[in-house]
Amino acid sequence: MKVFKQIIFIFIAAGITGVIANAVNPKGVPFIMDKNIYALDTAKKKTEKKLPDFRNDPYDTTANKPVNNVFNGTPNKEGFIEPENISGTLAKQLFDRNALFVDARTKPEYDSLHIKGSVNIPYEEFHNLPVDRRKEMMRKYNKDGIIVVYCKGGKCEVSIDLAYDLARLGFRSVSIYRGGVHEWKESGHPVEP
Amino acid sequence: MREFLSNKYLQTVVRIVIGAVFIYASVNKLFNPADFAKAILRYDMTPLFVVNIMAIILPWVEFSVGLLLIFGIMKKPVSIMAAFSLVFFLIALISAYARGLDINCGCFSLEETSSKSDILQRIIEDFFMLAGTYIIYKYSGSKKELETINSVNNINEVK
Repeated sequence: MKVFKQIIFIFIAAGITGVIANAVNPKGVPFIMDKNIYALDTAKKKTEKKLPDFRNDPYDTTANKPVNNVFNGTPNKEGFIEPENISGTLAKQLFDRNALFVDARTKPEYDSLHIKGSVNIPYEEFHNLPVDRRKEMMRKYNKDGIIVVYCKGGKCEVSIDLAYDLARLGFRSVSIYRGGVHEWKESGHPVEP
Repeated sequence: MREFLSNKYLQTVVRIVIGAVFIYASVNKLFNPADFAKAILRYDMTPLFVVNIMAIILPWVEFSVGLLLIFGIMKKPVSIMAAFSLVFFLIALISAYARGLDINCGCFSLEETSSKSDILQRIIEDFFMLAGTYIIYKYSGSKKELETINSVNNINEVK
């Protein structure tokens, strides 16, 4: 019995230390994991693995012929292929190969600065449209083409939300560039205006 | 055999080796709960809501157990805790191996490189350490205890 009490004591003492250490740790985590982070992390893992395939796959977002899906994602339970989280390096490679960049921010933000050649689909407006209207808007884009959704960078989340909206519409290679336009500009990549 | 296993020096060596492994395994995770949480996620065994709590608490339990083992404080409860965590890791590792998960075990480093041999090696190491914790639990004890055991044995022999 004494041993059992000691075990409980050690466990609780270690647990409290852990909670305190986590609280003061700038890299600490919340007690409950965010589902979004989970999805993003798995997406990131897939992307890093599939990278070599991508280099061999030619694609064009505007082509009429179907193009191989570089990420080779499989539909999830809800029937859509989940967006991939991509790094700045990969985003630049996709940019160089004519992928479609989508800015999820509002029109004024887009007008002040955006990645060169990107189109503006403000998430707030887009999300409030009926599904039919959304489909119509996106009809001109190739479902198999690569779409990179971004926003400001840092902690902005509209890119994730918009990416999932697009994926739900049937786009098979949607990726999220979390670095956003700020990281893009800092890396010295082309921006407009 | 009993005498050999309860030898003071052997006990100390086993304790320090296992303690050192526990500490070595925990230092990377202590201040990096986010990466450790991802490592736990890769096992695909735990519900999402306990992942972070595990990532916060487990490394510190591991660290305390290692520290207490090295200093030989509260040997019995600590060896039980060490054995429990080893069994826990073993279950996770074996299930990951059986399911053919191609993951890094997240035992020592938290990088996402994957190698299956890594997991197999860890499973074998785990078994050895488990044996070690048993030796500590069963044959460690204060000098007095050991002397009593020995004297009881002697009496039995005399009889």
